[in-house]
Order: sequence, then structure tokens, then C-alpha cells
Amino acid sequence: MYSNLEKTPRHLLVCEKSNFKNEKSRHGIHVENHYFNYRVSVLIPECGALPAGLSTIGSSFGKYYLVKNLPVYEIVEQQFLDLCVKKGSFYALSYNTRIDQDNSAALIPAGKLILSVDKDTYEELGLEGQQSQYSHKAVMRHIITIDLTDASFAPGTKKYKRVIWALKEKKPLACDFLMAWHPSGEGDFSLSSYFAKYQCKEHTPSVSTKILRDIPSPVISGGELKGKPEESCDSQEFLDWLGAASADIDCNNEASSFLSTYCCPEPSVVMGQACLWTVTGFLLPEKIYMLLEQLRHYFDEPKLAHWTTLTVHGFADSPVSWGVAEHGFHKGGENLYNFVIFRNHDYWLQMAVGTQDGCPP
Amino acid sequence: MQRDVCLNIPPNHVKMLDIQPHGPKQAEAFVNSFLKHTMPRLEGKDIQKHLRRKAVVLEHAFKKKKKNKKRKTKSLSAKERRQMKIFELKPQQQKYELFLPLHELWKQYIRELCNGLGPQVQPMMIQTKLLKADFHGAVVTVVKSKCPSYVGTTGIILQELKHMFKIITKDDKLKVIPKCNSVFSVEIDGFVSHIYGSKFQLRSSERSAKKFKVKGTIDL
Repeated sequence: MYSNLEKTPRHLLVCEKSNFKNEKSRHGIHVENHYFNYRVSVLIPECGALPAGLSTIGSSFGKYYLVKNLPVYEIVEQQFLDLCVKKGSFYALSYNTRIDQDNSAALIPAGKLILSVDKDTYEELGLEGQQSQYSHKAVMRHIITIDLTDASFAPGTKKYKRVIWALKEKKPLACDFLMAWHPSGEGDFSLSSYFAKYQCKEHTPSVSTKILRDIPSPVISGGELKGKPEESCDSQEFLDWLGAASADIDCNNEASSFLSTYCCPEPSVVMGQACLWTVTGFLLPEKIYMLLEQLRHYFDEPKLAHWTTLTVHGFADSPVSWGVAEHGFHKGGENLYNFVIFRNHDYWLQMAVGTQDGCPP
Repeated sequence: MQRDVCLNIPPNHVKMLDIQPHGPKQAEAFVNSFLKHTMPRLEGKDIQKHLRRKAVVLEHAFKKKKKNKKRKTKSLSAKERRQMKIFELKPQQQKYELFLPLHELWKQYIRELCNGLGPQVQPMMIQTKLLKADFHGAVVTVVKSKCPSYVGTTGIILQELKHMFKIITKDDKLKVIPKCNSVFSVEIDGFVSHIYGSKFQLRSSERSAKKFKVKGTIDL
């Protein structure tokens, strides 16, 4: 009867610790390479009101656009590349497409277009690609990667003509796109005016704040990732507790509650109040990095808290997770990372992925 | 008999031949590993079986009879055809325009075969006639293929072999496309038919006699 429960789908959690002031610290690279972010949440213990710095950053998270039924060839055309992609970082992700069933597309700021297509579309489209890493005996999914910044992709070359022919005439692919642009230098380009003939709607990320009261929290120390038996908790237990706290699950292990018998890991301390701040939308890594820097400086003034956390969730249906690593959806499409920032500029970085995903860098 | 075979080499022979003899155990180990190496698929027991129980016939061995296929018609064999190079095109002759009249001929032939293609003609009838027809001179396009680089090639069929189509494209290039794992589309007077190459792997002469089964959908 329990044979189904024994076979849990595999998931990976990578925990590492370092210090922000360390030159070799790769926190910036990790944040930069995780291109498509859906939700960012910050938990500050012993804090009753949101700090001013955070709310200013929250309002400065740029706008993102949702364009309905955009043909894919539009973002590959030379005109668009010159105006937008080459002058900053442009992020585009297909919206409302399931990664394991439909065709998905993503444009990453390195100038690569990644198409994740099913078997029939791959056979009809005519562009070369590789089989998905997560296929079994029958190959159902193919990944086509087109480097748009490559020298051999100039207009008039055979490669460019073939790509445009395939996407425009042979098998026109069109889907809803979420896109955002971060200009490098003086940029005078508006996405909504360029895509005016398709339904282009502007959105701003939604922000919400919540104050949690009287919650038990585990004791952790920056130097001990694995935790000491009576003194501090393991990083994995901490991540479990953080998920429970963010989702507002009671961690008191009461016999009457059938929903959860999870209880806070020992040793623990009861926090009077904590501030949970969440931003949801199509968020750019550049802004998340600014937020991380702001949180580092939270401890510049003396505070009651010993640590704060910054959690970033990726899209479940995106074709890539970190860099160009392929991402799939098995029984869950999570790809998230979590920073735990301590007073002395130490940090823990935990990266978690689901089944059809490579090991995070 | 075994004792004689497995004797040690006498010492005066050793000096004469200037070799280093192995001890009996070493020799046995060497022979076993040599046999394992040369007959990798058999285990030790099977090797022993092979060597002991079978009689090795040195003289008067049976010759294997060669079966010659009887050629029914007085045609040339494939080797002779390749040597005579009947079907090779010279570079001057590789021009698309030269084969357009062939295409016109083919269109006329299909129209006669289907007794005139008008709007009232049923597609099913055309399909059954096309199955038995010859395709030399048809303009064909690859619509779907397991190898994406074949998709989109269009041209006039010059030669239809058992597994391949030889096509000349508009750029005057001779392309050889395997029939397997591809879907071709043929167009005649507004009727477009899709041919599943995997089921079509017959010489055009033999195809007229073959009956095709009806299948719902075919996956590549």
C-alpha cells in the first residue's frame, strides 16, 4: 500500500556558506544567472515595521509587459535585436505554456533564444536542436538553442534566413510572452510601443507585507552549516522551517491539527514579531541584487535580529533554471534559492531544484 | 595423451632455443587467459567443451555451397549499372530549367490517369491512383522529418530508388533524400497529398503491384 509513497521524486538541495566581503564570493554570479524570477520574499525577525530602504526598492522594481499571441519571429528579427537586445539585458519568457506539454520559448540576456518543443513541432519546424536530457526511451521533447549574437547570425546569412523562414512560414509559433528590459546606458526604447499591434499590457510587481507574531524560530549560527547538537540547527531544517513560516503553517504539533504535524526544530526561541515582505511578478536579477545589497546593510545599525533571509522563487514552467541548464517539470517545477544573511556579513546560500533539473552551480 | 602434450620442455632444448620456460602452473594460467582473450564470449567451461568434445577435422572438410540467386529477367546487376554510370548527371546537365518539361509531362500523365482533375473529383480516388503511379518528374517538398535539416527541400524527382529520392532543387543542386522517417508532399492542380516515406520503401516498378493497408494516423 505504501509503495507509492516510498518512491518520492528526487530533489536536490545545495547549501554553501561564505562571507560577502570575501573576494571569491560568488553570490553575485548566482543571482545574475538565475534569469527568470517569480517571487522574492524577505523575512526579518524581531521587526515590527518594514525598513524604509526595502520599501523604496520595492517600488523601484521595474515594469514588465505581457504581450498576447506574439509570433516568435518578432523577437528574432534583426531590427528588434539592434534596438533592444544588444543595448541592455532583455528577458522574455513564454507565459501560460506548460514546459512538459506545450512549446515554450525563452530569451536570455546572453542573446540566446531557447525553444523547448514537442516531437511533432520539432519534426515540422526544421531547426536543429538536441534531445531533452530528461527523455526516456521515446524522445518527446527537444531543445533548440539559437545564438542571436553570433557573427554567423547576421541578416542575409543562410542561418538567419533559415531561422526566419522556419519561424515565419514553415511553422509559425506564437505564444504569450512576459518580457522585461534593463537598459545598459541611455536607452530610448519602449516595448509597449514596439509591440503595439499585439495586445501589450504593462504590469508592476505586486508587493505585500505581513507581520507574524509569536512564532517559534530555530537558533542558527553563521559558522555552523550542519548545526551543533544542542546549540544551533542544521541549514536544511532551517529551510524547512522557513517554508512553513512563510506559508503560515502552525508549527506547534497539536494532535487536533491534521494538516501539519511539523514542529519547529530544536533549539528554538520564540520571536515576538517578524516581518514577511513579498514581491510577486516578473522580476529582474539586477533588482534582486540591489535588494540583497540593501539587506546586507540592514545590520549596519544594531538590531535585535541575528539573521534575515531572502528567498527567490523561479518559474515552474521556464525552460532554463541557472544559466542554460535545462529545467523540466516532473511532479513539481521548483527552482529556488535562499540567502540567510548574518550580522557579521556571513551568509548561507541554499539552492533547491526539483526532479528534472541539473545540479545548481 | 594429455600428459605428453603438457610436458615440460627438456633442459637441453631450453639452452638451444634460448627461451625461458614457464612453470606448469604459470603455463596453465597463460593458456587460460589466452583462450579467454581470444574467445571472449565463452566462459571457461564452454571453452573446455569446445576443445575436448569436438573433433577437429583437418582434411576433407565440407565446402560451403554458395547459393546463387537466379536472375529471372535479363537485366543488368547493380554492380554493372554503377560501372556503366547510366544514371550519372554531368554538371552541365544539372540545371533545373532542363527538367521543367519533364515535370509538365508528369502532370499530363497524372491528369490522364485520374481522367481529368476537376472540382467534383474525390480525393480518395486520386490517392489510390497516386499510390500506383510513377513519381519521376514530380515536384516534391519535405514537410516533416526526423532530421530537421531535410525539412523544406523542394525539387523535381529525377530518380526513385528503393530507399531514396534523387532530387534536383531550384538552386541546381542534386540532393539525395532518404525516404525513411520523412513526410513528402506532392502537389497537382491544387490537390496536395502527403506521402509517408517510411511506408513507401519500394521500387516504383514494384509499387504498382502492392496493396497498401489503411491506417488511422501514422507517427514518424
